[in-house]
Amino acid sequence: MTALLSLQHVTKVFGGLTAVDNVDLEIAERSITSLIGPNGAGKTTLFNCLTGLHRPEVGEILFDGSSLIGLRPDEITDRGVARTYQNIRLFGRMTALENVLVGQHLRLHASHWSAVLRTRRQQEEEHAARESARALLRFVGLHGREEVVSTNLPYGDQRLLEVARALGSQPRLLLLDEPAAGMNPSETDRMMELVHRLRDEKGITIFLIEHDMKVVMSISESVAVLDYGEKIAEGTPEEVRADARVVEAYLGPEVAVQETAGPASG
Amino acid sequence: MTSRPVTARAAGTDGRAALKHFTRAFGAAIVVLVVWRVTTVGLAEGYPASFWISQALNGLVLGGVYALVALGYTLVYGILFMINFAHGEVMMIGGITGYFALQFALARGWMEGPWAIVVIALLTIMVIGMAASVLIGVALERLAYRPLRQAPRLVPLISAIGASLFLQYSVLLIFGVSPHSYRKPALISGGLRLGDVFIPYTGAIIFITSILLMLALYFIIQRTKLGRAMRAVAEDRATASLMGVDVNAVIVVTFMLGSALAGAAGVMLGFHNTVVKFNSGFIPGLKAFTAAVLGGIGNIPGAMFGALILGLIEAVGPSALGIPTEYKDVIAFSLLVLILIFRPTGLFGEVLSEKKA
Amino acid sequence: MALQSAAGSIRTGLIGFAFLSYLILIGIPGRIGGSALPVLALISALFFWLNLRREAAHHLARNPEQGLEGDEGKPGWEIGANADSDRSSLHALLTARPGTALALRGLLAGLTTGLLIAVVSGIFAAAMGNGVAIQPVLDKIVPINVAALIGVSPGQIVQAEVSFIRFLLQILLFAGAGTLAGLAVSAGGSNLTTAARSGFLAAHVSGPTLGSVGRFAGIALPFVLLAYIAWIGLPGVTAFGTNEGTVRLLLTLIATGSGLFAVRLSRPGREQRIVAVLLGLGVVSMPFILDQFQNSVMGLVFIFVMMGLGLNIVVGYAGLLDLGYVAFFAIGAYTYAFLSAPFSSPYISGLLILMGVSPDSPLLGYWMALPVAMLTAAIGGVLLGIPVLRLRGDYLAIVTLGFGEIIRLFMLNLGELTNGPRGILEISQPALFGVSPAGVTFGLLSSQGWIFLLALVSSALVAFVAIRLNSSRLGRAWFAMQEDEDVAEATGVHLVRTKLLAFAIGATFAGMAGQLYAARQINIFPENFTLFVSIDALALIIVGGIGSPAGIVLGALALKGLPEVLRGVDEYRIVTFAALLVIMMIVRPAGILPSARRRTQGTDPDEAGFDDSGELMEGLVSEEQVAASPGLANGKEEVR
Repeated sequence: MTALLSLQHVTKVFGGLTAVDNVDLEIAERSITSLIGPNGAGKTTLFNCLTGLHRPEVGEILFDGSSLIGLRPDEITDRGVARTYQNIRLFGRMTALENVLVGQHLRLHASHWSAVLRTRRQQEEEHAARESARALLRFVGLHGREEVVSTNLPYGDQRLLEVARALGSQPRLLLLDEPAAGMNPSETDRMMELVHRLRDEKGITIFLIEHDMKVVMSISESVAVLDYGEKIAEGTPEEVRADARVVEAYLGPEVAVQETAGPASG
Repeated sequence: MTSRPVTARAAGTDGRAALKHFTRAFGAAIVVLVVWRVTTVGLAEGYPASFWISQALNGLVLGGVYALVALGYTLVYGILFMINFAHGEVMMIGGITGYFALQFALARGWMEGPWAIVVIALLTIMVIGMAASVLIGVALERLAYRPLRQAPRLVPLISAIGASLFLQYSVLLIFGVSPHSYRKPALISGGLRLGDVFIPYTGAIIFITSILLMLALYFIIQRTKLGRAMRAVAEDRATASLMGVDVNAVIVVTFMLGSALAGAAGVMLGFHNTVVKFNSGFIPGLKAFTAAVLGGIGNIPGAMFGALILGLIEAVGPSALGIPTEYKDVIAFSLLVLILIFRPTGLFGEVLSEKKA
Repeated sequence: MALQSAAGSIRTGLIGFAFLSYLILIGIPGRIGGSALPVLALISALFFWLNLRREAAHHLARNPEQGLEGDEGKPGWEIGANADSDRSSLHALLTARPGTALALRGLLAGLTTGLLIAVVSGIFAAAMGNGVAIQPVLDKIVPINVAALIGVSPGQIVQAEVSFIRFLLQILLFAGAGTLAGLAVSAGGSNLTTAARSGFLAAHVSGPTLGSVGRFAGIALPFVLLAYIAWIGLPGVTAFGTNEGTVRLLLTLIATGSGLFAVRLSRPGREQRIVAVLLGLGVVSMPFILDQFQNSVMGLVFIFVMMGLGLNIVVGYAGLLDLGYVAFFAIGAYTYAFLSAPFSSPYISGLLILMGVSPDSPLLGYWMALPVAMLTAAIGGVLLGIPVLRLRGDYLAIVTLGFGEIIRLFMLNLGELTNGPRGILEISQPALFGVSPAGVTFGLLSSQGWIFLLALVSSALVAFVAIRLNSSRLGRAWFAMQEDEDVAEATGVHLVRTKLLAFAIGATFAGMAGQLYAARQINIFPENFTLFVSIDALALIIVGGIGSPAGIVLGALALKGLPEVLRGVDEYRIVTFAALLVIMMIVRPAGILPSARRRTQGTDPDEAGFDDSGELMEGLVSEEQVAASPGLANGKEEVR
């Protein structure tokens, strides 16, 4: 399989702190890859570099063969990279449907003049956008919640809505920042199922940050581990689980000898 | 994840490279233009050095007054994240009250008495002006801002605009349209002559007093329990209140401190400009706010230096650029605009961001 | 406990005194004249009534099991739990003999106020009797004012012939007012419990629910008013004697405003459309009916509606707080002024003479100049927009404010171009097919009526464009940007383009408004374009209800129309307006006619939290908030 996303020597420095240090990573098309690491390891910073929020000082990010470095966040989204946020950042006063419609912004092309005149084409496009937004909400399991103002949605539904909004831009690569954080077990199961369906039914490549090791180990095909901004391990879940450096990073050198099933870091 | 200073975020958005290049080119063009103008026109006029020195001293005096008012803006902004738009009026009330106190003293003949009496009378006048400003400032907080603490940010701003108009026009209705003129006592109406440079006593007194007041404020904020509480509330109101800080009391005290400084500024500006009237707080208030933003709003030393810089540029700028003095306000506001374009957190924004990071 | 309640009454009395002394200082008694004393007593009675009512409601809220008439209150008040340990003597009295208790409290408050007023007026009277001139210090303290306050003739004040009885009467009058207020509160007890239940503010915010009769009356009201306005315009008909002009203006304002409510009251669908069309016809006919003065005020109102709609795009939709909006208004006005009256500008007339064109006649007519003015304003919007793209919140506000001031100072000081404070004179009126319709159409349309009609049509057009844009993807992008700029960008919104479009469209509308304003004024001066124009425009969209075009019309009627009605008491216009602005923000911050989005917010008080949506609401996230990493962006994590 060809790599959809490839990172080469990506480095991001804040002041004196190297948040992401010389990271190389390849993500295959239609794969589910997890990024794990202790708190402050630079995971979200790496996501921010990918989506154009930060510009790495060194390194190259290739998406489908072309560089993402120096592009604006909206241009990167246009190329087909969408994301969700660790702490939910929905457009709070908009309804669920409107949130997804904003997600589709890039895929709508009617001019603003035609919106004033309500031309037939603009109306058709708007209608189609609404239909597909409804379909996306159905897909993530928010059927019947279209007109609910997003802050009034339950927590788990807000996470699902973030995914739906990201899907609005028809991404090929979806970055999920701790999609199951703060969810109860049944919600977590729902989210994991959704991640699988995203890949299987929509063919979207998934790259996610997760702390819940149960989730990571059960859904990912490959796992990358960051610690102090450096990639310390990469491989299948089983390989990573067995890696001594990973255990050390999570539990500290003293306890590293006593192997445990999964770190309890949250 | 890691929290970063403001500048990091600004650097993070530099995907907008074109815009950045544009602003850089724009900035360079302005610098070149200013330098060219100063060298070919301003300096070519051949003013003597003493002229520049006295202009600069003038600017420092004005800057001192702005600084006192700017501190009020910055203190309130640091804690409530709101622009106290009526702060200029708080200053004006101090000036008006000071005028009446001065009239009283003049009528009693205290201003012609021995210098000790005059000094005590002048100090008392300033304290009375400060007290009036504190009264108005606290009333303002209680009536116009406190009920709106939970409201979205535009709402207190509009309320503040309303309060500002209300105060201005109430003073107009109560005390009339005509300006009230301050009469300087003989003791401070002279000046000091150092070579070709003339330093009026009032200017020197104003500058020294404002520096002293600023030091006092700095001491209160850095060294006292109260100041610690204020800083705590500014950092994080919810946590401070959990730690047992009475947030309401701190906010009231903040308004009191800011208003007291504004009141002092009002009285001193009265002596400096020789008149006060109902709208004489508006433009200085705006300038002081500019100064606060210039130094990075919420940042106390920033407000002081921002004000001094603004005062200097306003005084020296027109002659240096060889343009009429009517444009001094244009210079002040253009400076603000330019600073914010190139350093959106103000000149001393770094201090703030390090503290917050 | 009894002492505490007495202290509360005295406090009420003191606040009443402070309020009344303010009215005295600004010269209200002198203004009202002979009936000043009873009017002031009435005002204070009203004040006491409000205060006691609120106190009693508060009290009942704390002790819900004991209604005034002993009816069962609903349990579940937070503080209700420890009400048992908190029984004051007032509470005992309230439940036993509520009338007496409240009347006593009112009496005490009234006595306090009356006593202090008597002392103050006594001091003023005595001073004036002794020949002390208070007026040079306190502008409005003149014998007429003080005499009106005591209820004597000014001559008696000057000659110090006010008997002691007068002051006693004064005290008694205020004490009576307080007692009356107390009795009124206890009489209205049944409403009180409901007021207590719903909470004082909530009762105001949620608004009344109308029955079908009320609904019908609400819809009929504007039509009745319009008919009445038309009728009193007929020759020979007078209303309220000489004051007809203002009365008719007031009715016109109310008719237009209530028309907006009528549309809201009518059922969506056919009924609403019919009501809207009929009302539209009624309003469009107004320029033909009203006289020159009323038309000129209505014209100004609708020019400001255009301004408000434009600013609403920038502030209400895109969440960019712009305090320098007057700049674009000025650009529109001066562009038209230069094109229409080039002879007034020394520089332009010089230039024209050099080019061999006579500067003595307009270069372009109103309609040809319209696109030029709009384009110039739009370019101005983009040019001023580019540098502030990176700024947020209050910084943006202050920079735009600076821009507005810079433009005004340039207008004032670039004498060669703008003729400085002497202004541009003799700007021509808009004409249609070469003739000005004013006076031509059967003499029905006055020149100001023509301006009004144009303003009406233009604001309808602007509203149409604004509403359509807002419901398109551009509107969604604006709103998303307002909610969270970073996320909006990452979701695919081109921030630079979206922001600049907001600035440009807003500026275009302001340019249109400015051009019409120049035509209305005929002569324009830099002082027409001060910061206060920006503040007016901002205030009117906030008072009306930000984001809601209907609210903007209402705001303009209230802020630009009502003050003209109050022309008679010109000097008190601005303080009244300013005080109302503050009160309005406290009582109803979402505006009179909030947009649908605001209303969904308003129902849930938790939503207006300072850190969460309170910040996001206006998109005015300060730099400090931004400083935190996206990972900690708005503190939601702590809340969870």
